[in-house]
Amino acid sequence: MTAEAAPRARSRMERAGWLFVLPLALVLATGYVWPLFQAGVNSFHPNTPQGIDLGHWTAANYAKLLDPLYQSILERTLRISLIVSAITAVLAYPVAFFIVRLKPKVQPWLILVYVSPWLVNTVVKSFGWSLLLRSNGVINTTLQHLGLIDAPLHLMLNETGVIIALVPGHFMFVLLPLWAAASGLDPNLKWAAGTLGAPPWQIFLRVTLPLTLPSLIAGLVINFTMNMTAFAAPAILGGVRARTVSFLAFQVNLEQLNWPLGGAIAVGLLAFTLAVVWGGQRLAFLAVRSGRTRP
Amino acid sequence: MSLEIEGLEKHFGDVRAVAGVDLAVGRGEFFTLLGPSGCGKTTILRVIAGIYPADRGRVRLGGVDVTEAPIHARNMALVFQNYALFPHLTVFENVAFGLRMRRLAREEIRRRGREALELVRLGALAERYPDQLSGGQQQRVSLARALVIRPDLLLLDEPLSNLDARLREEMRGEIRELQRRLGVTTVLVTHDIQEAFAMSDRVAVLEAGRILQTGRPAELYLSPASRFVANFVGPTNEVALAAVRTVADGALATTADGLAIKVAARPGTDAGGKAAWLMIRPENLRLFVAEGETDNRYEALVEDVVYLGAATSCRLAIGALRLTAVVPSAIGARLVPGALVAVGWSAEDGVIGHDR
Repeated sequence: MTAEAAPRARSRMERAGWLFVLPLALVLATGYVWPLFQAGVNSFHPNTPQGIDLGHWTAANYAKLLDPLYQSILERTLRISLIVSAITAVLAYPVAFFIVRLKPKVQPWLILVYVSPWLVNTVVKSFGWSLLLRSNGVINTTLQHLGLIDAPLHLMLNETGVIIALVPGHFMFVLLPLWAAASGLDPNLKWAAGTLGAPPWQIFLRVTLPLTLPSLIAGLVINFTMNMTAFAAPAILGGVRARTVSFLAFQVNLEQLNWPLGGAIAVGLLAFTLAVVWGGQRLAFLAVRSGRTRP
Repeated sequence: MSLEIEGLEKHFGDVRAVAGVDLAVGRGEFFTLLGPSGCGKTTILRVIAGIYPADRGRVRLGGVDVTEAPIHARNMALVFQNYALFPHLTVFENVAFGLRMRRLAREEIRRRGREALELVRLGALAERYPDQLSGGQQQRVSLARALVIRPDLLLLDEPLSNLDARLREEMRGEIRELQRRLGVTTVLVTHDIQEAFAMSDRVAVLEAGRILQTGRPAELYLSPASRFVANFVGPTNEVALAAVRTVADGALATTADGLAIKVAARPGTDAGGKAAWLMIRPENLRLFVAEGETDNRYEALVEDVVYLGAATSCRLAIGALRLTAVVPSAIGARLVPGALVAVGWSAEDGVIGHDR
């Protein structure tokens, strides 16, 4: 290839690159961006018994979001999502480092085990959980047989049930990046820290954690977002006592057929989730940077 | 502090990485484990450091048994081949790491960290990050990080092999100088003979998890105890011997062709009936020697001449025997293939060994 031909060939390849992206871009545009845009537009129109009044504009739907009932549902959704993310972060570290220590041939199989919950339909999975968690389910009957409890534990139709279902369901989103980061860690760093006098917990705190933090955060962002928008688990295992925003959006949109309010709920949830993710990332990076320049 | 290792063994699965090693390193000594890759030298170093537990044997530091001591309680410092600097910490924080682990006062950490960086002439780069440094600078940071904790034992794992040739030579001298000045007992692991010879008080040559010979560099070079050591520490001529007879002032060796070679008396010269061989370093062969000038003198045919700059290497044939001589080029210039020359060597320069 001559020097003159090279840029032309590259620009042709760049154009070809767009061609590869196009199908997915079309699917996303028609299946995601357009409906979202529609929901956004709807959310600024009043709802009437006859349907959406496209002739008038209003912010009333958003004002309704400030209602204490909705606020408490948002609070619960945030609480559940944060608890699930926190539990996942704590559990994923030992798992990732356990897997990294195995023979390279075995590692993908174990990863597959942790990915497998994601391969099962969430509705099926949630009904599966209800068989285990309900009052006369496997767990409660076993514990009662063993004489460990007198009355059945309330493991579902509350926040506990949602958390129990979401932790394994969204575990892989943190485990995968963490596993990759842990595989890439130079074992010499850990040994260097050890010979310099760092006991294992100091090695984790001062070497392993800061070096894997970017991957952990990346995983937690996805995990948290998935938790905020989970639908089947809250719907089946949370019930009316643990309603989340996604379940509320379902009720408003499909049971009450109030699309403008439903749109406002959807846009609100999106904005709120993005804000939390952005704020969390800022905080984490500030923490990392202050760790770097400590005098 | 002094270091003693006794009967050390280490296995990885079915592989016997270290197969019974004893060694003693004196206080302030620079000791080197030299051997080809896979000889177990790095494994020994890691067992000393506490990275790997020993399967069998003891490790003593200053007379105290540290075999079971955890890695962080040994007060040893390890310098790695890839430096293993913490990428998320500044140069200063890397150096201060060991001091922080010792919970020293803030002022003392600052003072000793600065001192250590000055020691390796990197005071100006304290606020940089490792990825902003050259290989040589990273090497010096890792050295400062190791020395700042005032270790009882300094362990160097191929510390120079990632540097280019010139820098390597410079760092060699620098490390040796620092080691002498601080008097820290040091164990170096390397496969580089020149590095081992240039830096060490004593060197142990390893093969297949065992120490073959320990000694000062000149001892290893001039009196190798085995064929492996002779070949590993430098180029050598090997002459298979048919018989070795003890005579008044040494030994008289005979090749299968009946060539007689005088050899000076030396411990281990008696082959005891085992297959024996004679080792002569190429630079110890002398050309154009007069009758009676050397203990051994033969007529040889020049087969090949290779100019190497300061020296010239030439292949000689004495009957069926092939020898390589390395001579100053001033002498080598007179050599042409096909010529006959007189070649000779002193009885002191031949070393008799036998296969184990």
